[in-house]
Amino acid sequence: MIELKDLTKTFESFTAVDSLNLRIESGEFFGLLGPNGAGKTTTIGMLSTLLLPTRGEILINGERLTRKRKDMKRKVSVITQEYSMRQDMDMDEIMEYQGRLYFIPVKQIRSRTEELFHFAGLTEHRYKTIRKLSGGMKRKLMVCRALLTEPEILLLDEPTAGMDAISRRQMWNLLRQLNEQGLTILLTTHYIEEAQALCHRVALMNSGRLNDLDTPKNLIDKLGAYAVDEHRTDGIHSRYFSDREQAIAHLSALRGQCTLRDTTLEDVFVEQAGKRLS
Amino acid sequence: MGIITILWEKWREFVRDFSRITLAAMVAPLMYLIVFGWGIRTTMNGQPYLYFLIPGVVSLTTMNGSFNAIAQNLNVQRLYEKAFDQVIISPTPLWQFITGQILAGALRGLYAGFIILFLVFPVKTGLVFNALSFFILFLNGAVFSSIGIVVSFLARNHADVPRFSNYFIMPMAYLCNTFFATDNIPHGAREFIAALPLSQTSRMIRSISFGEPCSFGGILVLLAYLTVFTAVGLYFVYQKKNL
Repeated sequence: MIELKDLTKTFESFTAVDSLNLRIESGEFFGLLGPNGAGKTTTIGMLSTLLLPTRGEILINGERLTRKRKDMKRKVSVITQEYSMRQDMDMDEIMEYQGRLYFIPVKQIRSRTEELFHFAGLTEHRYKTIRKLSGGMKRKLMVCRALLTEPEILLLDEPTAGMDAISRRQMWNLLRQLNEQGLTILLTTHYIEEAQALCHRVALMNSGRLNDLDTPKNLIDKLGAYAVDEHRTDGIHSRYFSDREQAIAHLSALRGQCTLRDTTLEDVFVEQAGKRLS
Repeated sequence: MGIITILWEKWREFVRDFSRITLAAMVAPLMYLIVFGWGIRTTMNGQPYLYFLIPGVVSLTTMNGSFNAIAQNLNVQRLYEKAFDQVIISPTPLWQFITGQILAGALRGLYAGFIILFLVFPVKTGLVFNALSFFILFLNGAVFSSIGIVVSFLARNHADVPRFSNYFIMPMAYLCNTFFATDNIPHGAREFIAALPLSQTSRMIRSISFGEPCSFGGILVLLAYLTVFTAVGLYFVYQKKNL
């Protein structure tokens, strides 16, 4: 279980994360959703100890996380938003370096690397240096590297950013499988469909603060599961209904171009924060 | 052990860039030896100037070799490649990472020093380089590796490391008892220069190479520098809020 208590991070006068309180259960697939600058990456940075909180604390199974706690760090793997790898190493070296940093025996590193490369379709590229890899291959390698250490908690910061649609779906399937095997996953994203498809619960963040926290379904139901969009000259105006018949009745009464659709998490966020996610 | 991991990583880097590292370690010292030793033929204290020069050049080469092996590399890993993030995230104790970097940097400095000794070997100088010399050169490399770590953490962009090198490392290379004896430098400046780590190393290496008695106080000074800069490096990795 991960607990964030009054977690705050300031950079000089700018508050990136403001008094964040969260509790993520073991085995949960949890999403941090918000626009750019919401504080998602800063939160992941503190969870991975890359950044130290200005105030507050992070507890994993009731114990305080610090840079010195190697027993706790052993349980966590992080896939950062940027390609955090040495550019002059080849894929094999990246994996071996990671395994050694986690004190995994070399023989085990090599056999697990074989499995992961085979699984990710990277075997034929394994001796290429990182600077010669495409963005998609680097992303796959980062996933392999994170899974090499067999973590209990996986932190993913915008894991599908820059991926094509097929690769993104492959990644979703993989993450679902890992979560079904008991891995706790914390994912940050600004892709609505990603959070909606994968996460058990979602925290909506804006300007460093927690706006709302619930299951995607509950968040949508609170607003109304059906949305009617009216296209006016000054933009699209949406109204939400929990009952489909009511939504249809409203739609029938409107003149001009209008549509009926399912409400999304983006609608929830727009209503709460007054701005779009992406 | 995390130290072995860092040494492994540095070894892979050394193997990969062997020719580049070796050439880079050779060029500048070789120029010093050719220009000041064989080109401008002069004597010092009744002996060829080359005899005076070699211990100084070997000392400054270990300094450059160690500092460059750590400072620029770690700076790139931290600011550009972000590979250092994975070290912070990993369970490898950060003191082991720092220790591994210092040892690896010291070994790279020693390697650079060996190259110079290999190049001047055909010149029968009669200079003595023994186990104590190599220990002092190793210690000198460790000091400048620890300085390299601190500089790489202080750097805010890629230009900061070469800038530091221009302002501090290069002046030390010329002034610290390497190319000339510092006896004639004005009072005040002389004591300041004498207290710098490279001055201590050059002095001890030269004494040993000439077969003269060597004051080992310099080793304590080098150990003091190593302790201070290692402590600052540890402070950064454990306490700095935004690495």
